[in-house]
Amino acid sequence: MADISDGIEEESLEEMILEIKDTSELMVDLAYSSLLYNNREIAEEVFILQERMEEIGDEIQRSAIQEVLNDRDAYKALQIIKMVHSVQEISYAATKIAGVVRFELPTHPVVQLSLRESEVIITSAVVDESSDLADTTLGAIKLATNTGMRVIAIKRGRKYIYGPDMHSSIKAGDLLFASGPEDGEEYFKDLAEGKEHLTPKDLQ
Amino acid sequence: MSFFDSFSEEREEEENLTVRELLTEMKDISEVIVDLAYASLLFDSNEIGDEVKHLESKMDVLNYEIRSRTMLASRTKEDAIQLSGLLQIAESAASISKAAGDIVGIREINPRNSPFLSFVLRDAEEKILPLTIRKSDMSGKSIDELSVEAETGMRIIAIKRDIRWIYDPEGDTRLKENDMIIVRGTEDGFHRLRRFANGEEKWPTYPME
Repeated sequence: MADISDGIEEESLEEMILEIKDTSELMVDLAYSSLLYNNREIAEEVFILQERMEEIGDEIQRSAIQEVLNDRDAYKALQIIKMVHSVQEISYAATKIAGVVRFELPTHPVVQLSLRESEVIITSAVVDESSDLADTTLGAIKLATNTGMRVIAIKRGRKYIYGPDMHSSIKAGDLLFASGPEDGEEYFKDLAEGKEHLTPKDLQ
Repeated sequence: MSFFDSFSEEREEEENLTVRELLTEMKDISEVIVDLAYASLLFDSNEIGDEVKHLESKMDVLNYEIRSRTMLASRTKEDAIQLSGLLQIAESAASISKAAGDIVGIREINPRNSPFLSFVLRDAEEKILPLTIRKSDMSGKSIDELSVEAETGMRIIAIKRDIRWIYDPEGDTRLKENDMIIVRGTEDGFHRLRRFANGEEKWPTYPME
């Protein structure tokens, strides 16, 4: 556990607040898509994120109180603590949604029907060593242009990279979360798993 | 008009929705309301904050409606088990909207000091940004016709037309020249969308396969 708390202490209060905000948003997205696909892996991911959420949430509240002791701005601390509380409520709601899948609660067929209306879906894939996506950047392979799927987060080991841009690197073993139209999903997954490859024309 | 009057008036509208429509609406609100709540902090906007409060009470009505409707639909033990999963989802969507309402409430703590969170949010990877539609391929088209989110990764969370706001616009909402839209997504996606909105770049069309 030592390395986790070490990592947290290097982050500033601002960075931590953004991290829990991003995490809670990813959790809600993942929770709904775990339902849509009845996918336990994605549901499990929501629960893993929740642990991280609690760790950082506590750390932010502690730092906010620490700052009050230094600069005596109690309103600022109160705002931060309320914000953390609300963000945690959101993430907790996401785990309740994902929990329906994770604990295999039977759901009414109407649930999946009601989620299917959305034009954009979320999917995930692990990057295989043989994939064109391994050891490159999102910009270099023009993933969004070629597949229609946009990577919204990358999980590397225990770390998450939120809202990656064209300069973000992709490595073999990364778990990619992507959103886009439903018909882009299969090609995206095949590319990540190395079953499909880009042609030189795609890279121009 | 008392609280209960407005509640029952709004309920009549919702009474005609099916359980499926109710749940779809709850999911959609739960997604957009959080963005709007952050936008109200970011732009220090009462107007957006009020809309969050409005959506929050609408969510309560929907949640009430879906609860009573599922109770009526439940005939057997099996029904009850299946429907309680559904209610757990509905309840969670309602919790999210309540949390969004609380985020808006943060502005009331001490207005003098609110810039802090606004500064923090400005640095988020997923940006919430305003954009104006100029004479371009986007004006006159509906959000669905353009597939804005699929094409650019940017989600339109609100439209300001003259002095009127349209929040969480439907897919068939047409964009008009001079509309101010608030969008959410990455910086890359935003720059691309802005080129389209300014008419600097043609909106891509795809031949039918």
